[in-house]
Amino acid sequence: MSAGFRAVQWNCRKVVYDLILVAGVTLYIGAFMGVSAWQRPPANWPDWTNLRIDAFGSCAFIMLTIILSIGPLARLDPRFLPLLYNRRHFGVLTFFVAAVHGWSVFEWFAVQDALPGLANELSNTAAYGKFIGFPYKTLGIAALVVLLLLAATSHDFWLAFLTPPAWKALHMLLYLAYGIVVMHVALGAMQGNRSPLVPVLLGGAFVWVAGLHLVAGRRERRGDRGSKVGEGGWIAVGPPETIPDKAARIVTAPGGERIAVFRDGARVGALTNLCAHQNGPLGEGRIIDGCVTCPWHGFQYRLEDGRAPPPFTEVLATYPVRLRGGIVEVDPRPLPPGTPAAIDVVL
Amino acid sequence: MIILNVLALYGLVGAGTAFAFVIFGISRVLPAGTPVSIGARILLWPGAALLWPYVLLRWVKAGVR
Ligand code: FES
Repeated sequence: MSAGFRAVQWNCRKVVYDLILVAGVTLYIGAFMGVSAWQRPPANWPDWTNLRIDAFGSCAFIMLTIILSIGPLARLDPRFLPLLYNRRHFGVLTFFVAAVHGWSVFEWFAVQDALPGLANELSNTAAYGKFIGFPYKTLGIAALVVLLLLAATSHDFWLAFLTPPAWKALHMLLYLAYGIVVMHVALGAMQGNRSPLVPVLLGGAFVWVAGLHLVAGRRERRGDRGSKVGEGGWIAVGPPETIPDKAARIVTAPGGERIAVFRDGARVGALTNLCAHQNGPLGEGRIIDGCVTCPWHGFQYRLEDGRAPPPFTEVLATYPVRLRGGIVEVDPRPLPPGTPAAIDVVL
Repeated sequence: MIILNVLALYGLVGAGTAFAFVIFGISRVLPAGTPVSIGARILLWPGAALLWPYVLLRWVKAGVR
């Protein structure tokens, strides 16, 4: 959290996540190259390089597709939340995989003394006006530059330095990178005269990512219509025991703001659903070690007053809660951040 | 060719500016006393090199204040 900046804030869960990630990438690339070399043994070094280009390129595309799917999947089904937890490391690894792909292309030309050919291809301005024949490698370079920018600014320092809204907007460029990559692969496959499988898989991946976003967006809009507001503007949450222990029930204020009503044993408190780190969905997190823990990157807050435990300094808005006729109710008008507001209930 | 030269210049100036920023500038733009580990400074270097015009602007502004 923001009490200082370390290189990487690893914890047990993140280490496991990263190990699985690296193992998955290694397995995929190993299997891809192994099977391809077995089916059609490479005759020389450029052939091997070609294989590497395909292995790393396809791996990077799959990784990008997964990264863009994680967000909507986690919104649709909380079981995908663990994938979201360390998505930034996923992104940085994707950049490195894509960089090996790009480097291999360069190497393929270099070992055959054909770098001037590559330079000609990239600088052939006339070809940029064509559809078939478009220098698709330029698109690959553009996507790689965007991925580099995102990987290089993924550290928490940049979030604080650029401010969360600007940082988020910058990282939305991932969608642009994905679009460019889709064009890069599509044009490359069309020009390379490879199997029709590539365009089919490419189209499938694109439709999958777009479809997931549409479905998750629609579900979210439905939830945003607001929970039922009762007497005095308070929102009924339900009997205390229906709020899962050490977890939350999310209600929506009339303005669309989401409120996470947590229960920790007999204690009930309400916080904004937006994590102070990157607006992660706090209400989908759990209470760990006595603190509400964000499911995205593990920032923690005290249920009593929405303050991060010292030495951290993040503070969240809290909401008044009360028990009326055995029903927990929350007032959707937020209190100043850090105001103690949790209550004890009898279960 | 001109584009490549301009890019190379941008990268070169960025590399130098970022180097100075992660050593000296970073503590200027953060609230006083915020610790930044050496590992973090190394990881911040590429981002500072890419965004160097903005980084420099913020550094200068923080220095003036
Ligand atoms: S910890 Fe990153 S968004 Fe909550």
